[in-house]
Amino acid sequence: MTGADAGAGVAQVAGGLVLAPLAAGWIQHLKGRLQGRRGPSALQPYRDLRRLWGKSAVQPSAAGPLYRAAPAVVAAALLVAALVVPVGGRAADWGVGHDALVVIGLLALARGALALSAWDTGAGFGLLGAGRDLTFAVFVEGVLLLVVLLAGRAVGGSTDLVALSGAAAGGAPWHSAAHWCAGAAFALVALAETGRQPVDNPDTHLELTMVHEGPLLEYAGRDLACLQWAAAARLWLMLVLAAGLFAPTTGPFTARLALAAATVAVLCVAIALTETALAKMRILRVPVFVGGAGALCLIGLAGSLVQGA
Amino acid sequence: MLAPCAGSLLIAGGAVAVLAGAGPAGAPFHSTLHPRLGLDGLSALFALVVCGSVVPALAAAGDAMAGAPARRPLLALTCAFALALLGVLAARDVVTFLGAWELMTLLPATAILVARRDRAVRRTVFVYLATTHLGGAGVWVALLLLAQHGAVGAALGDGPRTLVLVAALVGFGTKAGVMPLHVWLPRAHPVAPSHVSALMSGVMVKVALYGLLRVLFEWAAPAPRWAGFVLLGAGVLSAVAGIVYALVQRELKRLLAFSTVENVGIIVAALGASVLLFADHRPVWGSIAFAAALLHTVTHAVVKTMLFLAAGAIGHAAGTLELERLGGLLRRMPWTGWSLVAGCAAIAGLPPLAGFSSEWLVLEATLHLGSGSRAADAVAGALATAGLAATAGLAVLCFVKLAGLVLLGAARSPGAAEAQEVPAATRAALVTGAGACVALGALAGEIVPVLARLAPGDATVAGGAALRLPGTGSLPAVGLLVALGLVFGLLRRATGRAPRAATAPAWTCGQRLEPALAYTGAGFTKPLRLVLEAVLRPARELEVVDGVGGVRRIRHRAEVPHRFDEELYAPLARGALRGAAVARRLQSGSLRTYILYMLALVIGLLALARLGGLA
Repeated sequence: MTGADAGAGVAQVAGGLVLAPLAAGWIQHLKGRLQGRRGPSALQPYRDLRRLWGKSAVQPSAAGPLYRAAPAVVAAALLVAALVVPVGGRAADWGVGHDALVVIGLLALARGALALSAWDTGAGFGLLGAGRDLTFAVFVEGVLLLVVLLAGRAVGGSTDLVALSGAAAGGAPWHSAAHWCAGAAFALVALAETGRQPVDNPDTHLELTMVHEGPLLEYAGRDLACLQWAAAARLWLMLVLAAGLFAPTTGPFTARLALAAATVAVLCVAIALTETALAKMRILRVPVFVGGAGALCLIGLAGSLVQGA
Repeated sequence: MLAPCAGSLLIAGGAVAVLAGAGPAGAPFHSTLHPRLGLDGLSALFALVVCGSVVPALAAAGDAMAGAPARRPLLALTCAFALALLGVLAARDVVTFLGAWELMTLLPATAILVARRDRAVRRTVFVYLATTHLGGAGVWVALLLLAQHGAVGAALGDGPRTLVLVAALVGFGTKAGVMPLHVWLPRAHPVAPSHVSALMSGVMVKVALYGLLRVLFEWAAPAPRWAGFVLLGAGVLSAVAGIVYALVQRELKRLLAFSTVENVGIIVAALGASVLLFADHRPVWGSIAFAAALLHTVTHAVVKTMLFLAAGAIGHAAGTLELERLGGLLRRMPWTGWSLVAGCAAIAGLPPLAGFSSEWLVLEATLHLGSGSRAADAVAGALATAGLAATAGLAVLCFVKLAGLVLLGAARSPGAAEAQEVPAATRAALVTGAGACVALGALAGEIVPVLARLAPGDATVAGGAALRLPGTGSLPAVGLLVALGLVFGLLRRATGRAPRAATAPAWTCGQRLEPALAYTGAGFTKPLRLVLEAVLRPARELEVVDGVGGVRRIRHRAEVPHRFDEELYAPLARGALRGAAVARRLQSGSLRTYILYMLALVIGLLALARLGGLA
C-alpha cells in the first residue's frame, strides 16, 4: 500500500465518519442565510448527535428485534459503503473492493432494513414514508445503473469506481455527449436518493408528507443518532461520488484531494441554492422526474454511439 | 423418509465429484433411440440443485403430511417426481429425455389431485396440463428434429437451426414460466402441497432451463444473435412484470409463484446476454454471463425451496396464507420467522446474502453488454440493465412487504395469534436453507469459476474470496460479510449500552394504535400502484351506504387483474372454443359421412403420391 492509498483510507474514514454531518449542517446554514435568516450553525448536527448519544432510548410497545437491529444495520451499511467509495481517485484496500454496484446494494440494504423496522412498530406514518421511499428507489436504482454504464463506457464498461474516477480526469471526457448527460442525470437522481428538495423536504415536521424521515419517527437516543449520521453519510457519499465521477481531477493525490473537497463544497452551495429556489414536488411527480434522468441517460448513450461510430 | 434423503445425498456427492473434476460419467449424448444414462458437468450441477431441494422438501413433507389421509401416496409421488427430474438431467438419448420430461410434468399434477379434490383445483390442474402440453410440444419438435439431424450431443448444421431454436424457446420457455408463456405457473404452484410447490418452483422450472441451455449452447450452437435478443427481451419482461404482479398478490404462495417468474426472467436475461456476448466475440464476458445465469439458478433454487417450505409451515400453523390475516409470527415461530427473514433478504438481492452475489453478476453481464460498440447490443444491454436494476428495487419493496405482513406487527387474525412453531425436521430444513443463503453469498468467489468452466469455449475466470473480474471493482463477498458483521456488532454494543426508558405507544398523532388502524400491504404498495396505474389498470369498487346522520358504512374493494390472462389468453381461449364449435360441424354422427371422409383422404393421398408430392 502506498502512502497515497493510506491517505485515501484516512480520508475515506475521516470524511465519512466525521465530515459527513458537517456537509449537511453547512447546507442548512447556507439555506438559512439565503432565506434571510441567521440559520443554525454549521456545527449544529454534531451538537444534535452528542445530545442524542447521551439520551436514553424510548421504544414503541409493539416493537421487536428487527426494530432494535435496524439502526445498527443502516449505519453499518453506510459505513461499509464509505469504505468502498474512493476519495480523490484512490481507495485503500479494506477488503470490500470498490465497485459501484456494491455501493448501490449497500444503500438498498439500509433502505430495506429501515422499512422493516417501520413494519415492526406497526404505526402508519413510518410505513407511509417507507413505502414511498422504496417506490422511488425502484426508479432511482434503474437510473443509477445507467449513469454507471455511461460513465464506464470510456473505460471499457468498468464498474470499478477507481477506474471510473480515473476516466473522468482532465477535460477530455467533457468532449463526449455521454459525460454531460450522465452528469446531469446523476445530479437529478442524487437529489432523489438523498431526499433533498425538490424530491423530499429534509426539514419537514409534518408526518403525512415525510418520505425519508417517516421511519425515523419512533427512534430516540443513540438509535436516532445512528440514523441521523447515516442520513448525513448518504448525502456525503453522493457528493463524493459526484466529485469522483464528474470532477476533472488530475495531478498528484494531494491536489486531487483538495479538488475533491472543493467540488463537495461547491455542490453543497448548489444544493442550498436549489432548496431555496425550488419547492417540494408532488410525490407522484417524482418517478417522472427520475424517469427524465433515465431519458437523459439514453440520449447520452445514443450520442456516444453516434460519436463512436 | 431416510432412504430417499440418503439416496439424494449420494447422488449429490456424485455430482460434486463430477463438478470437481472427475470428468463426465456414463454414456455421452447420442441421437439413436437406445436408452442411455450419463452425467456431465452441466447435468451434475443441475442434479446437485435438485438434490439440494429434494432433501429439505422431503424432510418438511414428513412433518406436514403427518396424519394426512393421503400421506403415503403423496410421499411416493414426491419421490417419483424427484426421480423424474433427475431422469431428465441424466438422459443421454431422446426417448429417455422425453419420457422423463413427460413424467416430470404429470407427476406433480397427480400429486396436486391426490392432495386436493375441489373443483377449482381440478380446473387449475387442467390449465397447467393444457398449457404445458401445448407449449411443451415445442420440446418434442426440437428434440426430434435434433435427433433426425443426428445433432443430439453434436452441433447442428445451419439449415434447421432456426426451427429447432424457435421450438426449443417455446417448449422450454413454457415449462420455465417465461412471460408471456407463464400463465400456468402462478395458478399451479400455489395449489400444490407446499413441498411439491417447493420442488416445482425451486427445481422443475430450472430443469426446463437446463434443456434450454443444452440446445442454446451445445446442440444448436452457436446460437444466433436474434435468439439472444429474444431471450434478453423475454427475460426482462418476465423479471419486471413478474415482480410487479408479485407485489399486488394477497396470498403468500401466489406471491412466491410470481416471484419465480421474476427470477426465471433474470436467469433468461443473463442467458440472452451470454449469447450476445459470445456472438460479439467477447468469450470472457460470455462465460461470466453464463456463470451468472447458473449462479442465479442455484441461488433461486435454494431460496425459493426454503420460502415455499416456510410458507407451508406458516399455512399449517396459522391456518391461512392470506397475507393480511397473518402477522406477528416472528415472535410465535422464531425459527421459521428468522429463516423467512433471511430468505426474503436473499431473494430481494440485499448484500451480503446469496441473491446479491448472483444479481451483481447478472447486472455486470448486462452492463458490459451495454458498453460494447455494436449499437443494437449497447441499447439492449442498457435497457436490460435498467430493467433488472428496477427489478431489484421492486423485489426489495415486495419482500419487505411480505416479511412485514407475515412476521411483524400484531397478529391480524386469531389463527395467527395462536400459531405454534413447526416440528424439528422442518425447522432443520428451514435453518439449513437460511444458512445456505449466507454461505452461497459468501462463497460466490469460489463457485463462479467452477460455473464458468461449464460455459462453451475455454475462457477461464479467476476466483478467490473476493471475485476480481476484469472491468469490475470486484465482488468482495466474504469481505462484505465480515465488514458488515463487524461494524454491526460494534454498533449494537454501543447503542445497546444506553439506558432504556420504559416503552411508549407508537406515535399516531396522539390516537391509540387500534387494530383497525393497522397498515395494510395494499397501503404499503399504493405509491407504486399509483405510478403504474396506466399499465396495471387496477379495478376499484367503492360502495357507500348512507344512514341517518351521515355515512354508515363504506365498502372498498380493489383488485389488480392479471392482464396477460385477460388480454392474451382469454381471446385465445375464446378463439379456440369458436374453432372447436366449427370443427364439430364435421362430426355429423352419421357413419356414411365418416366413410366419405376416409375415402376423400385416401384419394387425396393417392393423388399426392402420384404427383410425386410425397416422394
